[in-house]
Amino acid sequence: MRPRILGVIYRKELVESLRDRRTLFMMVGLPILLYPLLIFGMSRLQESQQEAQQQRESAVAVWGAMPEALRARMAEAPRLKLTQWMGVPAQVREGLESGALAPPPTEPPRRETEQARPRPKPLPDAQWARTAQQMILERKADAVLILWPGFADQVDKGGVGRATVLYDSVRPDSTKARERIADELRLWRIELTGARVRERGLPEGFEQGVEYSSQNVAPEKRQSGMLLGMLLPYMVILLSVLSGFYASIDITAGEKERGTMQTLLCAPVEALEIVAGKFLAVWTITLLGTTVNLVSLSLVFTRVKLMPGMEMQISTTAVLLAFVLLLPISMMVTALFLAVGAFARDFKDGQNYLTPIMMGLVFPLIVTMQPGIELNAHLAFVPVINVALLIKAVFLGEWAADMLFLVMTSSLCYAAIALAFAAQVFERNNVLLGGKETIGGVLDFSRAPGSRPTPGVSILLFSVVLVIAFYGSLSLTKVSLPGMLLTVQYGFFLLPTLLLVQAKGYDWRNTLALRRLPWRGLLGALLVGLSGWAVASGIFIRILPPPESLVKALEKILLMDDRAVPLWQVWLLMAVTPALCEETLFRGLILSGFRRLGQWPALLLTGLLFGLAHASIYRLLPTFFLGVVFGYAVWKTGSLWAGVICHALNNGLMALLARSRETLEQFGLTGQKYLPWEYVAVAAVVMMAGLLLLRGARQSSTPATA
Amino acid sequence: MTGPTLRAEGLTKRFGAVLAVDQATIQVDPGEVVGLLGPNGAGKTTMLRMIAGILAPDAGSVTVAGMDMATRPLEAKRAVGFHSGDTQLYRRLNAREALAYFGRLYGMEEAHLKARIDELVELLDMRSFCDRPCDTYSAGQKQRANIARAFLHEPELLILDEPTTALDVISGRFIVETIRAESAAGRAVLFSTHIMGEAEYLCDRIALLHQGRIVDHGRLDELLERSGCRNLTDTFLKLAGQEAAA
Repeated sequence: MRPRILGVIYRKELVESLRDRRTLFMMVGLPILLYPLLIFGMSRLQESQQEAQQQRESAVAVWGAMPEALRARMAEAPRLKLTQWMGVPAQVREGLESGALAPPPTEPPRRETEQARPRPKPLPDAQWARTAQQMILERKADAVLILWPGFADQVDKGGVGRATVLYDSVRPDSTKARERIADELRLWRIELTGARVRERGLPEGFEQGVEYSSQNVAPEKRQSGMLLGMLLPYMVILLSVLSGFYASIDITAGEKERGTMQTLLCAPVEALEIVAGKFLAVWTITLLGTTVNLVSLSLVFTRVKLMPGMEMQISTTAVLLAFVLLLPISMMVTALFLAVGAFARDFKDGQNYLTPIMMGLVFPLIVTMQPGIELNAHLAFVPVINVALLIKAVFLGEWAADMLFLVMTSSLCYAAIALAFAAQVFERNNVLLGGKETIGGVLDFSRAPGSRPTPGVSILLFSVVLVIAFYGSLSLTKVSLPGMLLTVQYGFFLLPTLLLVQAKGYDWRNTLALRRLPWRGLLGALLVGLSGWAVASGIFIRILPPPESLVKALEKILLMDDRAVPLWQVWLLMAVTPALCEETLFRGLILSGFRRLGQWPALLLTGLLFGLAHASIYRLLPTFFLGVVFGYAVWKTGSLWAGVICHALNNGLMALLARSRETLEQFGLTGQKYLPWEYVAVAAVVMMAGLLLLRGARQSSTPATA
Repeated sequence: MTGPTLRAEGLTKRFGAVLAVDQATIQVDPGEVVGLLGPNGAGKTTMLRMIAGILAPDAGSVTVAGMDMATRPLEAKRAVGFHSGDTQLYRRLNAREALAYFGRLYGMEEAHLKARIDELVELLDMRSFCDRPCDTYSAGQKQRANIARAFLHEPELLILDEPTTALDVISGRFIVETIRAESAAGRAVLFSTHIMGEAEYLCDRIALLHQGRIVDHGRLDELLERSGCRNLTDTFLKLAGQEAAA
């Protein structure tokens, strides 16, 4: 790919897209208009509805004899209009007056928290219930208050007068009527019980027995954060990706429709340059849209009170974090838009093709709007949902660096997969010229015997393997630790790598660097393997110290859940297995794919992916460092075995130290938070010696074409 | 350069069950105008797309100015100027911007590019509209801007796919005369049309394409002599009929 040509295509696509009014509106107009409209509109609507409800009188039908004291109290109550015997069937009235009608049985008190959700009480199969229901549903009354036979007598005698309020929970006016009646009955009950206690000379509070109150400890900021968190991820994600919607269609299906795609394809440019230029242009537009969205909403929310007494605030950190989280998701959606848009024949067709992708975004986002759904290990790898939930956590001020790292890593993996798909589509000129092509034809898993993987294949394999390994290991939680380690290493790391080499027909020897390790390389690898751990942990753990919980979890794995497993088995499991499997994946296929980028870009990229695969921000730096060093060993010797030896020794030493408390004591390391500098210095010298040996190792062996 | 500017041999392209082009071979020398004639659906566009490097052939090879399209696509494409009658330009760019964009893609130096755009604006009489966005152009203006785009990098081979489609007589004639001038300047031109009069007027040699196969080719007088017909239209109908009956 030539950067100059990429720049030419990028600039042209950006200029042309930014001259499109639809794109400008989606990018700038919509966010500027929508947030104030939504917030002011919502709060105004809520206020006006509440006001109207407060103003409106509740029409209540009263069936049954009402004691005078209660009638007088209800008459004084504001906006409560009672109508005695309104709409009552003669039979029901007769039953209530004669005492033939009995109230429905009351349920014994139970623990409400034990139920998954409150069970709605079924409507009794009786004439009074059916008639009242009909009256309320037909809006002849907002509620029906039934005072059961003997109500007044029971109240006078010091017993319990029984009443039932029938209402429609869906209709706000009916709910309001129920609240008003319940309020009056509650106040009357307090009055009554107070009088009874006083009459009998009982101590105050006799009738209550226990008084309790609850206090919400969530600060105002959290309460507003929850509201924002429920609504905003949905809106920000949707509006951000929507900014690139029209631009994506215009520069794919639109170009096809106008015939300019054909002109572009006959110019001396590579397919990858075309897709990269177009992708970067749409992604820029999406990111501009994202910026406008975040700025607009933070301006609106800092100046608005959504609810009385509840301040809305979005901190700059939250806005910046939300932006960072939107980077991979916008990257993924943009790539998908371009790939799918390229299949459409014209602009209209493009809209039809891209709308399902938008719908595919809406459904998971609706899930995240539900209260009570929080980010966890299972959801951290679910695309879209993970980002939305983390943005929600960011607004609540409850995000953790490790979760952010996991979500970013997984989202970048999905973005990489989407980008690889887009690149594959743009390689098919037949698709770009409007010809018919199946998805299977586009994906093209045909063999290319004797070839080598490309950087795209490396990133794609890493992304797929990481997603499989993550979900795979989550589904293996009930399997024993050795079983899980073996499955992940051999099943999720090694097997897909070998299958890919076989399926694509890659050259085994060159792709996986399956060459004899020269003696000098062996010596260098031994020195690097023995010193790598000390240098990595001595330096990088000081920069970003891991939390105690992570250290304990790693120790637990190294100690095999404190089971009495012989050391050779631990080495086989913790040192040899990862060394074989991870080295084949990372220093074998992935490094081979990056090889054409040159030594240092290839080593740094492989190291980065190796670090990311360890799925923790606290382990990123040391594993990145080790990944680069192991890669250097393989690069310089041309043999995968150099990496395998380094890796196995490094892990084996860690497992040994974790089990040998005596050794740690001997070296005065017990209770030390960090490895003392003198040990780090010695290890660094050993490592340098190892690297120097590795540097010249290739000359003494058969030169490889790798 | 000695030898033909274009040599396409045994070009074959299949779309599913449809054999669009079957074993087509064609050659164009410097300064020569070769016409590719055929009815709609004969496979002209597919064949020209394969020659221009837009579509990969299932079989056969294309060499432009001595460079193989399969192994050295970027260099080979640099020697080709492609124009199709149904192509439009970028709607929200003006002609100068669109030309500058393509000039940069073809690796032209900025100073040379600017001078060449000015030259083409004059040559193709585009001054009155070249600073307006392309979606405001008339059909004739669009076609001139497109021709300018194909001529911009001074390619050795011009491939023109029905360039006079949907043009009025004046604009059509202007395009035809421009093609003639380019050929006189030593450029090889491969030109497809279904307008027989245009082909008779412009082409040094003619290839007749029917159902994806080149059914005859040669100079106009050779074609007429072989077919025993008085004009190209009759010749074509006769050959197409024979082919269909075969």
